[in-house]
Amino acid sequence: MFRNSYDSDNTTFSPQGKLFQVEYALEAVKQGSAAIGLRSATHAVLLTLKRSTGELATYQKKLIRIDDHVGVAIAGLTSDARVLSNFMQQQAMRSRMTYGRPIPVARIVQSIADRAQTNTQEYGRRPYGVGFLVIGQDETGPHLFEFSPAGTGFEYYAHSIGARSQSAKTYLEKNFDSFENATLPELINHGLSALHDTLQQDKHLSIANTSIAIIGPSDSAIEDLAISSAAKRGNFRVWENEGVDGLLRAWRRSRGEPEDGPAEETAAAPADADADAAAAPSAEEGQTAQGSEQAPAGAPAGGEDVNMEEQ
Amino acid sequence: MSHHPAMWKQPSAHSSFNDYATFPLAQTQRHSAISHGATQHTQQPLVTGTSVLGIKFDKGVMIAADNLASYGSLARFRDIQRLHPLGKHTLLGVAGDMSDYQWLKKELDALLRQEEALSLTDSHPSLSPSNIYDLLANLFYGRRSKMNPVWNAVLVGGWDKNKKESFLAFIDLLGTTYTAPTLATGFGAHLAQPLLREAFEAKAGVDGKGPLLTQEEGEKLIDDCMKVLFYRDARSINKYQVAIITEEGITISDSKSAPTEWSFAEGLRGYGAQTQ
Amino acid sequence: MTSIGTGYDLSVSTYSPDGRLFQVEYANKAVEAAGVAIGLRCTDGVVLGVERLLHSKLLVKGANRRIASVDEHIGMASAGLLADGKFLGSRGRDEASSFRDNYNSPVTVQILSDRLSAFLQAYTCYGSVRPFGLSTLLGGVDKTGPKLFCIEPSGVYYGYRACAVGKGKALAKTELEKIVSKEADGQPGISVREAVKEIARIIYLVHDDNKDKDFELEMTWICTESGNKHAPVPADLLVEAEAAAKAALEEGMEED
Repeated sequence: MFRNSYDSDNTTFSPQGKLFQVEYALEAVKQGSAAIGLRSATHAVLLTLKRSTGELATYQKKLIRIDDHVGVAIAGLTSDARVLSNFMQQQAMRSRMTYGRPIPVARIVQSIADRAQTNTQEYGRRPYGVGFLVIGQDETGPHLFEFSPAGTGFEYYAHSIGARSQSAKTYLEKNFDSFENATLPELINHGLSALHDTLQQDKHLSIANTSIAIIGPSDSAIEDLAISSAAKRGNFRVWENEGVDGLLRAWRRSRGEPEDGPAEETAAAPADADADAAAAPSAEEGQTAQGSEQAPAGAPAGGEDVNMEEQ
Repeated sequence: MSHHPAMWKQPSAHSSFNDYATFPLAQTQRHSAISHGATQHTQQPLVTGTSVLGIKFDKGVMIAADNLASYGSLARFRDIQRLHPLGKHTLLGVAGDMSDYQWLKKELDALLRQEEALSLTDSHPSLSPSNIYDLLANLFYGRRSKMNPVWNAVLVGGWDKNKKESFLAFIDLLGTTYTAPTLATGFGAHLAQPLLREAFEAKAGVDGKGPLLTQEEGEKLIDDCMKVLFYRDARSINKYQVAIITEEGITISDSKSAPTEWSFAEGLRGYGAQTQ
Repeated sequence: MTSIGTGYDLSVSTYSPDGRLFQVEYANKAVEAAGVAIGLRCTDGVVLGVERLLHSKLLVKGANRRIASVDEHIGMASAGLLADGKFLGSRGRDEASSFRDNYNSPVTVQILSDRLSAFLQAYTCYGSVRPFGLSTLLGGVDKTGPKLFCIEPSGVYYGYRACAVGKGKALAKTELEKIVSKEADGQPGISVREAVKEIARIIYLVHDDNKDKDFELEMTWICTESGNKHAPVPADLLVEAEAAAKAALEEGMEED
């Protein structure tokens, strides 16, 4: 049943000094669909690939707003993500109430990392089964952090987590030198290219499966400021469904591809994933391993702050 | 009960002794129902500091307070610093109960030490003057809501590194908060504030949009006000310090005195040697 | 005796027949996988240095620091499980601040080490927890002068003139002994500025370019120059020390 006698609980070190339960928890993160984060000198962005469990289900959201200046992308167990993001929201609010200060991004990441550490040291607990990419902006500028169930929070220029994220990482490592001075549209295009690399051969990015979060000054060329006051203020905002259409088109143009998306998509996919069908059944189901983000979600929204959905 | 500094340590109407307020006695009736069993919090300050003055000038803020901590009307401690720096760009000037002030110092120093320690790890700057002010406002209001006030009136002065502007604001034991380019606590609010405002507005205008006082002008103004306070406030001494907070940081002056003139008092009964 | 498969090594609340606690020994293995951390007590202060191994080139340069401040005058460099290190750091800050609350004076490095070692030891007593995968160097200057302590996963702690933990600690210790023995021979003790260069040199020496990942050099000190506060070693000095370390390494290679 167990691979070895040292992997059945989190309070046992292996003879090599490893904690197998923690390493298995890291595997749970890889079961989730991909999430990518990048940052420039002025912006931080998150891009995620949403999954749907079937034709009757909408796509599970992967981006959560924590505060005006912080947001996360999740990969792994959604319910664990909700507990942790809730905690982050409380921490963020507490900082604003007691000090009138937006919580420093590194501190809020460390606060959940500390919680996760406890779950690796006490019997009867399990490590969290979710990884976060956290973007935020504070007095020291834009940031991107990765939170992992091991209880660590590292700061990156660019990073990817979740299923097939290694392919995205390869892209990011090749290009991250240019991120620092990139404009917002350039940064997003890099992110979409990296996200595209996590897809299987015959799959494509569409408005149904792609969602993008941004922190930093808005760019009216690619963002519809009329429907997003968060964008106007440079706060955390999410673009998905119709809202992400413009961003996807701009990206395809930059790659010299047909702006409407690949034509063969309709032919290749058993169920249609047309660009105009936000709630339509999609071709992306069963794209990778068993989805863990599988709860049916609330109504599609574009541009405004995202709220945690009820289950 | 009035919390006005003029009332601190004054005998209440039904007190049969301590009429000269020479030392602070608890004002409650010793055998009243209240003193039996009921939980009581601080009812009055004991060792107190008087006015604190604050003014914005063109390069920052200055805050002044004298060196006296009174025990009732007794000038008990005559070398007390009531200006306390918090980090590189924030300074508190504190009036009211000195033991509450010492407790405040300890709490805030611990908090800032924690911030400083964390900043080695995440390189995030420490709390700004307005962050510290918000915290104090919450703390004072929270405590008064528990009927256990922190018995002080505080001026927070500082330099905001992000906004590149000076900061000056007030909080008292009720959690009252306000801000203005010139501020004073206690007697200072009556005796010095009009002088501060007059001088400030003479240059900056009523809307405060004109040029601010220079540091020299500001210091001169503070000296004048401290002199007036020493003449008229019986809980003050002629020994005070002035803190200057600018972009470069904080400097707190050595104790100094204002030149005063007392010859007019010679003819007053009760001053100097009795002639009859 | 062998530990694996006997069943005596699954819980920290179980002794083996010959009286060992294997779980504590395994925790030490987690330490040995981490980048080296070095502490050196000098005549005028203490210097801490770590080899910060970079598991990805996407990591932000200079971020993700491994040395933490516990109080104004005390620094902590841990080798082992990173998350455990952060946890112990925050416990250390709590202890230091509670000491100040109670006694109105800064905690000494000795007392802090004592408190933290007791905390670590508690995690070797119960089956419901695991030991810390951590060896920690605590360095600081207090009223008793410059002090350096090392706490191990078992909860044992000793004071040192110089100490190294983590990967390659054996080689590092050999080098440190050479420095310390000079002092024992009656020569003047090492100064913090010299120590910065020595630690940089040792970390570059210990680092295996072929086997190990890239690393960043991270150093802090507590000394007269830093006002007896725990602070990063000034950038120019660090750059100088790093350049000298690389030069020394190449020189050493030519000799080989």
